[in-house]
Amino acid sequence: MKLKGKVWKYGDDINTDVIFPGKYTYTISDPEEMAKHSLEDLDPAFASGVSKGDIIVAGKNFGCGSSREQAATCLKYAGVGAVVAKSFSRIFFRNAINAGLPLIQSADAPDNIKPGEVITIDFEKGKLTCEQGVFTFPPLPEEVMGILQSGGLIPYTRKLLGTE
Amino acid sequence: MGKTIVEKIIARHCREEVTPGKVVWVDIDLRTARDFGGANVVENFRRNYPEDRVADAAKTFFTFDCVVPANNIPYANNQQICRDFAQQQGIKVSDVDQGIGSHILIDKGLCLPGYIAVGTDSHLNLLGALGALGQGMGDVDIAFAFRTGKTWFEVPETIKVVVKGKLFPPLSPKDLTLAILKRLGSKGALGKSIEFYGEAMDSLGLDGRITLASMVTEMGGIAGFITPNQEVLDYCRARSGREKIEAVVADPDAHYCQTIEIDIAGLKPQISLPYQPSKVVDVEEAKGERVNSIFLGSCTNGRWEDFKVVASILKGRRVYEGVMFKAVPSTREVYGRLLKEGLSEALFDAGVILTSSGCGGCASGQVGMTGEGEVQLSTGNRNFKGKQGAGRTFLVSPATAAVSALNGKITSPDKV
Repeated sequence: MKLKGKVWKYGDDINTDVIFPGKYTYTISDPEEMAKHSLEDLDPAFASGVSKGDIIVAGKNFGCGSSREQAATCLKYAGVGAVVAKSFSRIFFRNAINAGLPLIQSADAPDNIKPGEVITIDFEKGKLTCEQGVFTFPPLPEEVMGILQSGGLIPYTRKLLGTE
Repeated sequence: MGKTIVEKIIARHCREEVTPGKVVWVDIDLRTARDFGGANVVENFRRNYPEDRVADAAKTFFTFDCVVPANNIPYANNQQICRDFAQQQGIKVSDVDQGIGSHILIDKGLCLPGYIAVGTDSHLNLLGALGALGQGMGDVDIAFAFRTGKTWFEVPETIKVVVKGKLFPPLSPKDLTLAILKRLGSKGALGKSIEFYGEAMDSLGLDGRITLASMVTEMGGIAGFITPNQEVLDYCRARSGREKIEAVVADPDAHYCQTIEIDIAGLKPQISLPYQPSKVVDVEEAKGERVNSIFLGSCTNGRWEDFKVVASILKGRRVYEGVMFKAVPSTREVYGRLLKEGLSEALFDAGVILTSSGCGGCASGQVGMTGEGEVQLSTGNRNFKGKQGAGRTFLVSPATAAVSALNGKITSPDKV
């Protein structure tokens, strides 16, 4: 699995409330509609400017805060191809994988990536290439790759159960 | 190399080599959904697996505990959606009269040492009190678990916490828990499992173990385990009707990513200041602040032992005039025992508002919500802004709640 995309760069502790505004939690449930509000309070230019396959690069503890699954779902439906961060909150990590949104954890890469540049990620080889050079990361566990390649936990289950 | 408790539990459920960091598929013994989240689980299930049956109805449960009985239409609807689905699928419902789901799993003998349980409750990891692995998860995850009986799980590293010293009255398991939370902080165990050891642990009863294990979430941890003692094993035996109950015990050469020693000699009663559970100080440092209301209950401190302590302090006395003392037993069983053993009378005479069981205000439920400017002492586990209403919530032990209720202001139980 490889990905090439433009970078949207953010800082540390990007919490689920700014990824998907809490005020919409109980009012918007359509994923396409949710995507239109992704990162609205942090970066109003994001939702209208993001293209399919773009990559979010952030600092520590991305996805901290509530356990709401919408935070992962809205980024997925906004077309985000992957999130690269120094670390992720555990619940967001789980929700993102279940939604079919790949995550890369790298302590060094984020500080070396500029907003707007185009980077490539090779998931199997664990390589991220940006203007500053090549960074390696431990490839995601096989089981997690299986879920991601199916497009998320639900399609993966259908495969597992042989109903698709 | 030897294995920690969480590694052993996971290994028994996935039949492959288990090491920290590895993601494995595990078979789940129990999967639950409560009235918060339950309807979404049903919707997820119906959308993604239409016409399908759950993997095993006998291992699947709805446990209503958040707003019980429902006092608004959305909750009433959600509970009914779950009941209808349960009936179609042959799933048991622990309904609005029964109490907190995680406690039901323990008290009905459904969860046993070494089991894995998942549900929509972020404090399901309190099953660590039995040496079982409980995990709160999102709706998609739980719908998946209902359908397949499995989940994927990343094996966590384990921190060993060794507590030196003993607990003496009026110190309670809650004071010990808050002292550990103070030391670890809100991110101290982020993504990790904890094992608790030491003399104070060995002598903790089941209710005290539940108090400690329930607040590992506030330490950032995945789950915390206390190796079952004879009392816990006997309880599980009696409740499940099974003769053979075995504890999962860590190997002597198990690998821990960190070992933390905490000496509780000289420990004073503890209190969490608004709005962070980990913002813990001695009760003495907060003493004198006027108290408007008390909330006794929650999955952390809503059990028999908690009510017994409070009743012994309030018996023959009267709560300070103007203080609302709201008491919500964790389960119907605790509620019944209070009625039948006369404690409810002592509480009533002292001015306590005693209601039927559930999570109460700790889950923004019926009893225990605060208004702006209201100061509340809660025996619950979270005091985030807005969590239990608009007021300022302090977290305390049942004993601190009771003596403060009598004085109308925050009071340390070792000073009365």
